[in-house]
Amino acid sequence: MKLKKVLVPAASLLLFFSLWEAYYWLLINNPLLLAPPSRVLTTFIELMTGCNPHFYMPLDMVYSLFHYAVGFGLALAVGLSLGLLIGWFRLADEFSYTIIELIRPIPPIAWIPIAILMLGLTHQAASFIIFIGAVFPIILNTKYGVASVEVKYLEAAMTLGATKTSTLIMKVVLPAALPSIMAGLRVASGVAWMCVVAAELFGVAPYGLGYQIEMARLYHAPELVIAYMFAIGVLGFFLDRIYKLIESKVLAWRTGFVLA
Amino acid sequence: MSLPNVILIIKGLRKVFEGSPPLVALENIDLDIYEGEFLCIVGPSGCGKTTLLRVIAGLEKPTDGEVLLRGRPILGPGPDRVMVFQEHTLFPWRTVLGNVMFGLELKGIPKDKALEAANSYIRLVGLEGFEHMYPHELSGGMRQRVAIARALACDPEMLLMDEPFSALDAQSRNYMQRELMEIWSKTGKTVVFVTHNVEEAIYLGDRIAVLTYRPARLRDVISIELPRPRDRLGQEFIELRAKVLGILKEEMEKAINQKLKPETPRRGKVKP
Ligand SMILES: Nc1ncnc2c1ncn2[C@@H]1O[C@H](COP(=O)(O)OP(=O)(O)OP(=O)(O)O)[C@@H](O)[C@H]1O
Ligand SMILES: [Mg+2]
Repeated sequence: MKLKKVLVPAASLLLFFSLWEAYYWLLINNPLLLAPPSRVLTTFIELMTGCNPHFYMPLDMVYSLFHYAVGFGLALAVGLSLGLLIGWFRLADEFSYTIIELIRPIPPIAWIPIAILMLGLTHQAASFIIFIGAVFPIILNTKYGVASVEVKYLEAAMTLGATKTSTLIMKVVLPAALPSIMAGLRVASGVAWMCVVAAELFGVAPYGLGYQIEMARLYHAPELVIAYMFAIGVLGFFLDRIYKLIESKVLAWRTGFVLA
Repeated sequence: MSLPNVILIIKGLRKVFEGSPPLVALENIDLDIYEGEFLCIVGPSGCGKTTLLRVIAGLEKPTDGEVLLRGRPILGPGPDRVMVFQEHTLFPWRTVLGNVMFGLELKGIPKDKALEAANSYIRLVGLEGFEHMYPHELSGGMRQRVAIARALACDPEMLLMDEPFSALDAQSRNYMQRELMEIWSKTGKTVVFVTHNVEEAIYLGDRIAVLTYRPARLRDVISIELPRPRDRLGQEFIELRAKVLGILKEEMEKAINQKLKPETPRRGKVKP
């Protein structure tokens, strides 16, 4: 049983890489166009261990994660408070609805030029793009979660002594809205990570995984491009795992409610 | 026996729900509730029992009249009048222990003392060993017991219970009634218990307030002097039951007649 759980994904990976390797050698065979996985792997190891004089991948990872953390952290702070506000107060919702719905459909990438114009080629500009991408899923999921807290829980809490609004919010509204909020965070994190790459790719900041992909293309080095793509995929995967882990920790009470 | 103290006075209470047409739920209710008594409220379904309880809880404002708790008007909900709701309102994100701790946390009681108190209430309702379960892992009866423990843990002056056992089967219902009697005699709380089950009211109550159909008026208050634990098959029990059922039947008939003969037929829809 356990062996099978390892063997099946391993087999699929093996098949994928063999087909790719074969495709390269049989049909492309040109180091300026594409690289086979064997070459990507050695390049990746070189990049990670500092054997390449121009690229040092761990540093780019740190920069990308830094952009991500600042942008996402900001989106978290703004998204949670704004979502709470408009989910709780009808007037705040009515007041902000049109603006939010007008700005939300603008893709984060469309913000890149204005970010560069206003903030220059800086880390702030990169984080801003990530912020734009992540903030809306957080706002909307928080708002939805807060607005759909059942009145019966609020009333029960009130008769049990939760008479202040702040107590109600901390003790009832937030925990009740948490499943929706967590779902929003996970979506937002995925969007944020994509925005990191997009922002860096456009040269918003002079370091990072996305930036180096573009550099590698200019070098006509597909093995570098793919090695960086691989790094983005792996980090994105682990970020999502972290949220999944947090989610299963803080929403432990829901096990049995939802199909795992 | 000394004279009982009045804990709650309801004077000329009227409750109208706005709308078109406005719905008069409660009409001119006068009722005194005594300290430590077990008062049952019965009435036809939809007459306004829950509304009356919600007004006492402070979740609804009276349209007219007043409700005085120890002489002071009720301004809003508070932990001195805890409600056990008709539907399931345990917090699903908290364990049994967490739910019972809720009111204690709000009072700012130190953690170790709160834990001790919560555990004693969990024991009181017979749920030791289930402290760390979540509400959805419990049966309906167990949930109601947690709700009762959660309410008792606030140490309220009054316990307001809205048909807490109506979703249970006959056996667990009888069992819970016995349990509740025991808890009540141990804690000496004032209990206002809404039910539409006459047998339940007679088994539990010191007095039964019978409400009429909409708008709910106070039709009768019946004192029950039977010694506890009460024998559901005893002569007097059965007689009382017949009496209350008779009153309710009268009210139901009035309600039905009222429905069949609307005072103002809607124009254009009712043929002459
Ligand atoms: N918030 C509200 N707005 C408008 N009408 C309401 C509201 N709450 C209750 N009512 C109406 O008031 C009347 C009394 O309702 P209430 O829930 O008090 O009845 P009840 O005696 O508890 O009924 P049941 O035995 O079915 O629980 C009903 O006709 C109901 O439709
Ligand atoms: Mg009711």
